[in-house]
Amino acid sequence: MTPFELLEPQTLPEALALLSDDDAGIRPIGGGTALMLMMKAAVLAPTRLVSLRGLQGTLGSIAMTADGALHLGGLASLSALEHSALVAQHAPVITRAMTHLSNVRVRNVATVGGALAHADPHMDLPPVLAALDARVQIAGPLGTRELTIDELISGYYETALKRNEIITGVQIPASAGRAAGRCAAYLKCTTRAADDWPALGVAVSFLYSNRTISDARVVIGAATDRPTRARAAEALLSQSMGDATTLQKAGDALAAEVQFTTDAQGSAAYKRQLARVHLGRAVNAALAQT
Amino acid sequence: MDAKVIKEEQIGRSVPRMEGAAKVTGRAEYIHNIRLPGVLHGKMFRSRIAHGRIVSIDTSAARAVAGVHSVVTGEDIQRLIAEPYYGPAFHDQPVLALHKVRYVGEPVAVVLATDPHVAEYAAGLITAQYEELPAVFNEVEAATSPIHVHDELKPAITFPDLKHLKGKRGTNIALDYKLRRGDVEAQFASAAHVFEHEFHTQHIMHTPFEPFVALAEPMDDSITIHTSTQMPAYVRLEIARLLGWPENKVKVRTAWLGGGFGAKVYVKIEPMVVALALLARRPVKMSLTMEEQFYVIGKHATTFRIKSAVTADGRISARKCEVFWNGGAYADIGPRVSQKSGFTSTGPYRIEHAQIDSAEIYTNLPPAGAFRGFGIPQLVWAYESHTDIIARALNIDPLEFRRRNILREGDEHPTGTAMRDAEFEEVLVRISARMGWDQPFDRGTGTKRRGRGIAIGVKASIAPTTSFALVNVSADGSAVLFCNTIDMGQGSNTSMAQLVAQVLGTSSERVRVTQADTDVTPFDMGTLGSRSMFHMGHAVRLAAEHAREQLEALCAETGIEYQDEHSIAQAFRKKFGMQAGNIFGVGHYTSRYQPADHDTGMSKEITPFWMIGGTGIELEVDTETGHVTILRMVNVVDAGRAVNPRVVDTQISGAALMQMGATLSEEMVFNEGELTNPSLAFYKIPGMRDMPVAIENEALEAETRSGPFGAKGVGESGTFGVSPAIANAIDDAIGVRLYSLPLTPEAIYRGICAARGEPLVD
Amino acid sequence: MTVANRTIAFTLNGAPVSAAIGTHHTLLEVVRDTFGLNGARESCGQGLCGCCTLIVNGQSVSGCLYLAAFADGTDVRTVESMAVEGKLSSLQQAFIECGAFQCGFCTSGFLLMSEQLLAQNPNPSEAEIRNYLSGNLCRCATYPEVIRAVRLAASRPQER
Ligand SMILES: Cc1cc2nc3c(=O)[nH]c(=O)nc-3n(C[C@H](O)[C@H](O)[C@H](O)COP(=O)(O)OP(=O)(O)OC[C@H]3O[C@@H](n4cnc5c(N)ncnc54)[C@H](O)[C@@H]3O)c2cc1C
Ligand code: FES
Ligand code: FES
Repeated sequence: MTPFELLEPQTLPEALALLSDDDAGIRPIGGGTALMLMMKAAVLAPTRLVSLRGLQGTLGSIAMTADGALHLGGLASLSALEHSALVAQHAPVITRAMTHLSNVRVRNVATVGGALAHADPHMDLPPVLAALDARVQIAGPLGTRELTIDELISGYYETALKRNEIITGVQIPASAGRAAGRCAAYLKCTTRAADDWPALGVAVSFLYSNRTISDARVVIGAATDRPTRARAAEALLSQSMGDATTLQKAGDALAAEVQFTTDAQGSAAYKRQLARVHLGRAVNAALAQT
Repeated sequence: MDAKVIKEEQIGRSVPRMEGAAKVTGRAEYIHNIRLPGVLHGKMFRSRIAHGRIVSIDTSAARAVAGVHSVVTGEDIQRLIAEPYYGPAFHDQPVLALHKVRYVGEPVAVVLATDPHVAEYAAGLITAQYEELPAVFNEVEAATSPIHVHDELKPAITFPDLKHLKGKRGTNIALDYKLRRGDVEAQFASAAHVFEHEFHTQHIMHTPFEPFVALAEPMDDSITIHTSTQMPAYVRLEIARLLGWPENKVKVRTAWLGGGFGAKVYVKIEPMVVALALLARRPVKMSLTMEEQFYVIGKHATTFRIKSAVTADGRISARKCEVFWNGGAYADIGPRVSQKSGFTSTGPYRIEHAQIDSAEIYTNLPPAGAFRGFGIPQLVWAYESHTDIIARALNIDPLEFRRRNILREGDEHPTGTAMRDAEFEEVLVRISARMGWDQPFDRGTGTKRRGRGIAIGVKASIAPTTSFALVNVSADGSAVLFCNTIDMGQGSNTSMAQLVAQVLGTSSERVRVTQADTDVTPFDMGTLGSRSMFHMGHAVRLAAEHAREQLEALCAETGIEYQDEHSIAQAFRKKFGMQAGNIFGVGHYTSRYQPADHDTGMSKEITPFWMIGGTGIELEVDTETGHVTILRMVNVVDAGRAVNPRVVDTQISGAALMQMGATLSEEMVFNEGELTNPSLAFYKIPGMRDMPVAIENEALEAETRSGPFGAKGVGESGTFGVSPAIANAIDDAIGVRLYSLPLTPEAIYRGICAARGEPLVD
Repeated sequence: MTVANRTIAFTLNGAPVSAAIGTHHTLLEVVRDTFGLNGARESCGQGLCGCCTLIVNGQSVSGCLYLAAFADGTDVRTVESMAVEGKLSSLQQAFIECGAFQCGFCTSGFLLMSEQLLAQNPNPSEAEIRNYLSGNLCRCATYPEVIRAVRLAASRPQER
């Protein structure tokens, strides 16, 4: 690694002022777990890093908002999510997803903001949050804005973030929470070792009452360029009872509608098959929580 | 040993490892820990092309970086060493690329700087111009390709069976072992059944967790090399040869090794650090990263064509084996692998008509050498998959088929060497007993199908080789063993101490083993191929016996009855009037060996002992995804007598689990010669959650009559059966046969689709 | 190439220390090269193997991915702190008794992570051990022995 300027602002406005939209050499750093990998591999040699760790006090909290949404601070660590009673209560799918996301040491350091801004298509959190209809809160020099995960992650390692913007938090609306009767599950499928980047991530969430699924959301990660919703599968699941025939049809629909990519974790054809069977497994896992 | 007084039996005792406290407190010494004043750190610039002539190397930008001491290229090395080529089998590998590069990742230049970050940054500024040449990557293609990795072959003098390759041009073949026994073709023509298959294994890497590290320290008229090596004596010899110095001016020392697995045999980065240190006249340290390790050495990819004739009553009457070993751009010890293992290609079976062609082949890939098992796992993969296919095709139980054909005591191996102390059948018996092979087996239902499989392999030892040992008994009866066997995790220091204690009649805890330092530890060929317990074990035994004779004489002289360390101490005090003096016991051992005949490949004494290992697997396949869960892994080996049963158990399971990684996930993936996954993020080794649900290991109660206290090597035997046992179990579960490693879920799923007649289309 | 120097102050195994560092230095480098504590070591360099495990403010981190600058003002512990006045902790003792290492390169990381696990979960099941330690790799594959050692240590809580 090569030396760089490391700045450690203590407030959001200070931090924003130190970033620049024009200078690709300047980056915010959260936990640094992803940045360090890139810097060590010399694919990134920033001139200035703006550490957001000084903002952990203000942006690291996990709380319920007045309108019943679950707020995850942009600087909250992934292990804070993992151990949060609020998360376990409101969005237990996140709690469960953590146990297979990276490892304890990385989770202790990595932040929610970093896990979203990095935009490696293999990341586990984005599809989970997308299935929970999460809104990403972003602060920039001109104020704040909110994006869905779909809007935030615009492509392969690409986000809609400007270089001088900071992810301050994520909100999972009350309607996506456990209390609203939503069931959710995330299945991570690895193909080379149990602990690995996924070949496929499938996040599902739906309302379940009178033994009927409604308002299903299905988001595919890792096997695609970016987290991708599978609307045809969603349509088939909604108003069904989640029976085997429906799951199979929904799996087929998913396989047909999503553009799968080939990479080191597997060929597109194989991932299509993984997606086909894992959709049903994910729905069953979510139903098992009811 | 027989009638001598032994207080407590030291052989067969699970003595806790001597270095336990040092390792759990973090204080154990590794070469990485050495920090010397004035040391320069070297970082490499590597070739990005697979084959080409070097037109120019531009180091100016790197030299201009503040803090850079110097930048060194192959031509600079040549000013120090006129013929800067090294290698145990061929002198083919330049210290830094000279004139040509032969694989992507080959070191081309090194930047030296006090700050390793500066060196690394500067190395990134170096550029090179090449005249690209066509390259060849596949071993079968390379065997006859018009593209040649080396213009001329330069065998080292070490191995007589390479002599005929001297000066050869127009070939990539770096060894051509042949075995000719009987008449296989006649058998194929007349046999009841003939089976023929082709199997493949992939390139893999050892990834010792302590990556290669070496530090060279020039002294007034000598050089000290601190290095993480499995072969200090060889490093000394080869460096002395390169420099034209006498051996005694080269001092090689090691510390605990953070794993080796065959990666750290012979010389690796030592010639480079030595040359750099002599050029810079300063100590130079090079610590490779995990990523860089992949460009140093790996395990051969292979293609194995195997054909068997089987009689109507299920006996293998002939077997023909054609093995192509992908040796990469430099031979390293590959030719030994393809010969020493090559001659066992027919497997542990009694086969009257046998033909083997085993060829080491140069390609434009990173070099391949020794890797835990020394080529055996690649061979067992093929012959035990093949054997299973035959049994199933003939409707004979796979265990029964093996027992029908297995080599028994006294039988002649196809090479002509008789089987002695080789418990093949007992290994099969114990695996099947533990697995309840004759019991009904739950085969699963729906999309979860279960199957089981077994496999067994054999390995010969590396011979002829020599070990020396020195035991120094102090006046208080404690002893220090000086030996060059390197403890890289296999617990050899503890086991060797047990041998000394057994002979002296003291407790193992009273024996300390020094780390290798060629100034004081005597010659040993090296720690590889599970040779140490046998060869060094004998040398240590002899050295201890030599010491004991002298101690007994001392006791007799002083009128003290020889009993244990207390009586020894008394005798010393009486003789010298105080606690003073030493007794040195020396011993050495060379294994018996008769070289294989060049034309027939046969020998009456091709190995001093045989290693045997087998594995039984029960697994479950998810037929919708191809994922495999190993429910149970049973590893049984014949290790002779276990000197330290716990150490032996850990060796068996460690070897088996390592081979499980090689079977299921590990693979160096190349794209036009470029390695696409040189990191643990993309080269996946097994972790906790990949472990079999249950694993059990057994070392037979056996005895190697020719071995020290009945023992023999055990470091590799656990690897042998794993890959084919898994493939055989998969076939048993779902009727899908796989011919190439690794057995990834995708490969298995594709197999399932193909078997259904609906191949997965991309 | 200028080295951006700064000084950090932190507690290292209970003692207050300070160090001159470059912004690009990892905490692992500083602990090893400035303080000569060699128990943590770099292997994969990518957060995967745990050989470089350090405890910062009571939480495990991969020292190879942790900027030294971030340690300013923190409490840092290494494997060297586990034995108190030369007395091995019960985990260390259990690792020796179960032979839970071969080459030992990964051992410091397994020990520190196991210590964290037992602090959070004094009596973990085998599955819990596997899950918690899944981010530690051992090329010698001493996994079965490590699992046994953690369970042995857990069975002797009074000594921990
Ligand atoms: C060994 C290892 C294994 C892993 N395995 C997995 C896995 O299985 N699944 C998975 O999903 N992930 C995995 N990861 C990735 C891990 O989740 C990310 O590295 C982590 O989430 C990034 O968070 P961070 O805070 O460390 O980000 P940083 O490294 O600090 O930053 C990452 C990127 O985000 C930007 N950034 C950081 N914070 C903000 C912010 N608040 N606002 C705007 N931009 C910001 C940075 O500029 C940078 O571009 C693994 C990582 C490692 C090292
Ligand atoms: S070296 Fe840091 S986790 Fe492997
Ligand atoms: S003991 Fe060698 S890597 Fe774990």
